[in-house]
Amino acid sequence: MKKSYGLIAAFDTTPALFHACEQVRDAGYSQWDATTPFPVHGLDAAMGMRRSKVPRFSLAGGITGFITGMSMIWFLDAFDYPLIVGGKPYFSPMFAFPVSYELTILFTAFATIGGMFILNKLPMHYHPLMKAPQFVRAMDDRFYVVIEAADPKFNTAQTRALLEKAGGKDIAELEE
Amino acid sequence: MTSPAASHSPAATSASTAALASKFLGAGLAGLALTAIGFFVSHNSAGVALSYVVGIAYWSAVAIGMLMLILIHHIMDSGWSVVIRRQFEHGLAAFPWLFALFIPLLISVRLQPGLVWPWMDLSHEIHGGHTVGTDVLYLKKQSFLNPGMFTGMTVGFFLVWMWLSARLRKASFTQDTDGDTKWTFMSRRTAAFGIPLNALALSFAAIYWMKSLEYHWFSTMYGVWFFSNCIRAALAFGVVITCWLYARGDYKGIFNVNQFHCLTALAFAFVVFWAYITFSQYFLIWNANVPEETFWYNIRETGDWFYVGMLILFGHFFFPFLFWLSYRRKSTRGPALFISIWIALIILVDICYNVLPALKDHHGEPLPFLSMNLVWVLTSVVGIGGICVWAYLRSFATTKLIPIRDPRIVESLTYHEATAP
Repeated sequence: MKKSYGLIAAFDTTPALFHACEQVRDAGYSQWDATTPFPVHGLDAAMGMRRSKVPRFSLAGGITGFITGMSMIWFLDAFDYPLIVGGKPYFSPMFAFPVSYELTILFTAFATIGGMFILNKLPMHYHPLMKAPQFVRAMDDRFYVVIEAADPKFNTAQTRALLEKAGGKDIAELEE
Repeated sequence: MTSPAASHSPAATSASTAALASKFLGAGLAGLALTAIGFFVSHNSAGVALSYVVGIAYWSAVAIGMLMLILIHHIMDSGWSVVIRRQFEHGLAAFPWLFALFIPLLISVRLQPGLVWPWMDLSHEIHGGHTVGTDVLYLKKQSFLNPGMFTGMTVGFFLVWMWLSARLRKASFTQDTDGDTKWTFMSRRTAAFGIPLNALALSFAAIYWMKSLEYHWFSTMYGVWFFSNCIRAALAFGVVITCWLYARGDYKGIFNVNQFHCLTALAFAFVVFWAYITFSQYFLIWNANVPEETFWYNIRETGDWFYVGMLILFGHFFFPFLFWLSYRRKSTRGPALFISIWIALIILVDICYNVLPALKDHHGEPLPFLSMNLVWVLTSVVGIGGICVWAYLRSFATTKLIPIRDPRIVESLTYHEATAP
């Protein structure tokens, strides 16, 4: 057998999955996921998921965009090639603001999209769960919890016991 | 019912609502009485009257914003906001009282034209020794700016607002008893014609009540500027009301973090909207640099008005914007309440900034911000506000807390954002 990816356990109902997730969360696992045929409201809280870190990328992008706009216009109009336009000063934040504002939005959008792809690791062309025969039913009528072997708390026997205690059925090991 | 639970019984809460309402009524009457004393006793009756205009404009902004939010809710067929919409509907109960409180100003238009709005007095002397009656810029606008139009339009604005409010309130409150979805469709039709109607009414109200104080000035952004303040004021008071109902226990288990975050996120969006509008108005005038337009800002750079302008720039935009960037400060009641109260106060400063510099001293310079007029602004705001809050609370006591039979009430109560912790 190839290297183990982790353990998969099946659940027949949404409440069963929900409470199993709470138990896995409380046991302190971090590298695991739940697979459901449809979105389950409140499951993110039951899994103990934290808010996305994408906004930090957005903020960094926004600040970069604003500074880029301001400094670009100062550099072009007041430093590199000073030119009086319309009797206005060489540089004023007033006329630099619309451009800086647009660049704030543009760079925020780029950083948000980029940050999302960095954090969710997409595009992902292969995932071990895809070749598991159980996975077909995760798209139809069954709920699954997968705990990865990469989790620091992972221990095949103990993790299996936890999933059994949580009511998991057909517990199986997944190949990498 | 046992004694600990008795304090939360419906009878006890309705009694506490009634007690609160009478406190606000008392404060309102006291504020109005002080303003009236100020008007008749002080030498500066024009300043008192103009401060009263600030009070009327401020509380009208809150009510207009609430009306607009309800209309937007219906036209968009929104889900999450059903649970807060009822409170805005109670807020609309203030319109008839605002109309009644505007009547003294309409009387002043008849008895003492030019007391508040200088263009109403054709013999009023303007810069350069001319009078309003010989001013070509006034004569061009005379068919629009005359006491008859002013009175008729103001009555028209209030009739529009009261009529739209009556339709929305009736539909929503009746649905509580019969659960008929026809009321939802009726409100959607109200919204379809009500939004353009309200947009026109609030823009013209801003032009007649505030912008016409300096009738030489031009700005196409003025109506939108007032609109953005209306919505911000309504959302700020929405957050205050939510926190009040939460603290009292009414909203426990009804209003959750997700709906609260939606409310504050909308308020946050309008922080940016207000900044966009206000900056655009300033920037276009700065860039064109035409004396007919720049004088308005030049007046507001003299004396302490410069610092008021800076306070508005940083306090009305940068502070709420940076403070509210974080999700936690939007979704937690304490910080959101703090910044909402701050926004409600700074909107008052913004309206003062737009209205009060119209009052000039003997040298044609605007009277400073920190003057006796500020006292009359406060008595007017407390006076008119007390009556408005009293009207809200009186309406609040007559219906259910939320529209229990609205078709989207379940969607609203279970509203959930995938990213919420």
